[in-house]
Amino acid sequence: MNKEIKFAMYAIKKNIQNGAELRGSFLINIFGMVINNVAYIFLWVYFIKSVGVVGGWTAADIIGLQAFVAIGYGFVFSTMMGIRKIPEYINSGSFDRFILSPKNLLIRIATASFNASAIGDLIFGLICFAVYIILISANFYQFLMMLVLVVLATIANLAISIIVGASSFFFMDPEAITKGFFDLFFAPSLFHGGAFQGALRFVFTFIIPSLVIGTLPVEAVRNMSLGKLALVAILAFVWFFIALRFFRYAVKKYESSNFMTFGSQ
Amino acid sequence: MPLNNKNYKAISVSNLTKKFNFSVKNPKLSWYKNLVSSEKKEIIAVNNISFSLEPGERVAFIGPNGAGKSTTIKMLTGILFPSSGKINILGLDPTRDRKKLAYQIGTVFGQRSQLLPNLPLTDSFEFFGVMYDLSDSEIKERITELTTLFDLSAFIDQPVRKLSLGQRMRAEVAVSLIHKPKIILLDEPTIGLDIVAKKTLRDLLLKINGEEGVTILLTSHDVGDIESLCSRTIIINNGEIIKDLATEDLAKTFVFEKYIDLVPTTKFSDFIDLPAGLEYSVKTPNLITVIADINKISVQNSIRKLLDAYDAEDINVYNTDLESVIRRIYEKGN
Repeated sequence: MNKEIKFAMYAIKKNIQNGAELRGSFLINIFGMVINNVAYIFLWVYFIKSVGVVGGWTAADIIGLQAFVAIGYGFVFSTMMGIRKIPEYINSGSFDRFILSPKNLLIRIATASFNASAIGDLIFGLICFAVYIILISANFYQFLMMLVLVVLATIANLAISIIVGASSFFFMDPEAITKGFFDLFFAPSLFHGGAFQGALRFVFTFIIPSLVIGTLPVEAVRNMSLGKLALVAILAFVWFFIALRFFRYAVKKYESSNFMTFGSQ
Repeated sequence: MPLNNKNYKAISVSNLTKKFNFSVKNPKLSWYKNLVSSEKKEIIAVNNISFSLEPGERVAFIGPNGAGKSTTIKMLTGILFPSSGKINILGLDPTRDRKKLAYQIGTVFGQRSQLLPNLPLTDSFEFFGVMYDLSDSEIKERITELTTLFDLSAFIDQPVRKLSLGQRMRAEVAVSLIHKPKIILLDEPTIGLDIVAKKTLRDLLLKINGEEGVTILLTSHDVGDIESLCSRTIIINNGEIIKDLATEDLAKTFVFEKYIDLVPTTKFSDFIDLPAGLEYSVKTPNLITVIADINKISVQNSIRKLLDAYDAEDINVYNTDLESVIRRIYEKGN
């Protein structure tokens, strides 16, 4: 396993170097995404300031939500963008070269690509994280809880991304379908949690676990709820386990195609 | 597995079959009925083939487009799972021992690059060296060896995207050898290369076969690759092996056929019906080429018949070239 991790770290480093060679687009992608996210959060905060509390959610909660979602998303897709590119790799047949690698297939694919704009998401998420700590005047236990939750939310984020990416093996037009699945998962994760009540909350917690990567962590921190912390932990690990099994099953459906391709990005 | 074991094979394939399933529209049904219920169609890409390669052999695996060459190579490397049959590569089963096998084989797909496009070529060597768990010193040593062997020093520090196609293909083959594989599988390695680059690549492959004893299995549509590189040729068509013989014997496959070119004094206009044993291959006002089956008609008689019918300024009799032999085999296979 050490060799796998060593290679994964090395591959991530090489991907960043490879992306950074094109300096202009590398920097524009990172800072463009930070600016884009800041504009988005300004809209939300301005809206909540105007109408007061929405469904029990304050402007600070919205910033916390953005922190959890953006850090998880930014970390997963900056270092492991290959997961998002599985449909593209399958469509072009370039998935072949990962199977030819002597490394764990999932790790090899995940670390095959890097997304500079996701670094922007990560930076934005970390800024929101710091602002959230200040706004809620987080005590030590809340801070500790936030750190644990951010790791769990990232694991859940990774798990769902693997499942969506691996679903590509079952469709003839994987790029369009998985884009739909990604949107279905990520779009609800950015809404304030007050919008999800009753059956809707059940669906987006247990069936499409969008709330696990943002809403539930914020609610756990706000209410210092160990129950919600446990729920996020259980769901994150269960989905991660399902993701690994599903990937192993799905990859057997791979039927290589013969389009011409170039490069590993 | 010891290499001095007489029964030891580098590659052994028995009764290998690969079927693909896909949905097809039923033209009798409306589009919305097709949307909810589609029919399945099965095609057999590779049909019950068996062959083996000795260590150090150089074998061409050829066939027309869609014959099953790439599908077979992909099953040998573990990319595709066979529908049935057995594959043994250096004692390993690609479906079960994918990672172990990867350490033993090198692969080059002419239509796909495995290099890091924006970084210098050395980074790609280093990347694959780390992937194959080589130490820093082993990687450096191997880069030096391969740079010398493949004459890469002029462009080793250039970003891969700046390399010419010929340079890139040399680099692809060199990188695929970083871990000293015992077998190298090449799928159309000379595709798109000019004649100089093709020759360079062929010479290099012969060199690594001679110096490092690497077993070579390649698919190619280029007869030059087969003639100059491979001592044995396996021909596959419609998923089945139709020939498996020494490359020099392949050229003799149609040795009973002679080609006769006739160049007109002015222009050919009327084309006569030929007697049994003769058939037109080319029939133009400026050139007639006739294939004579010497089992049915002698060369002497063939020429006599043709000269009786045509007013020719020049005549040329020759054996068929390898490309024509292969084309004829494909055509007969269809």
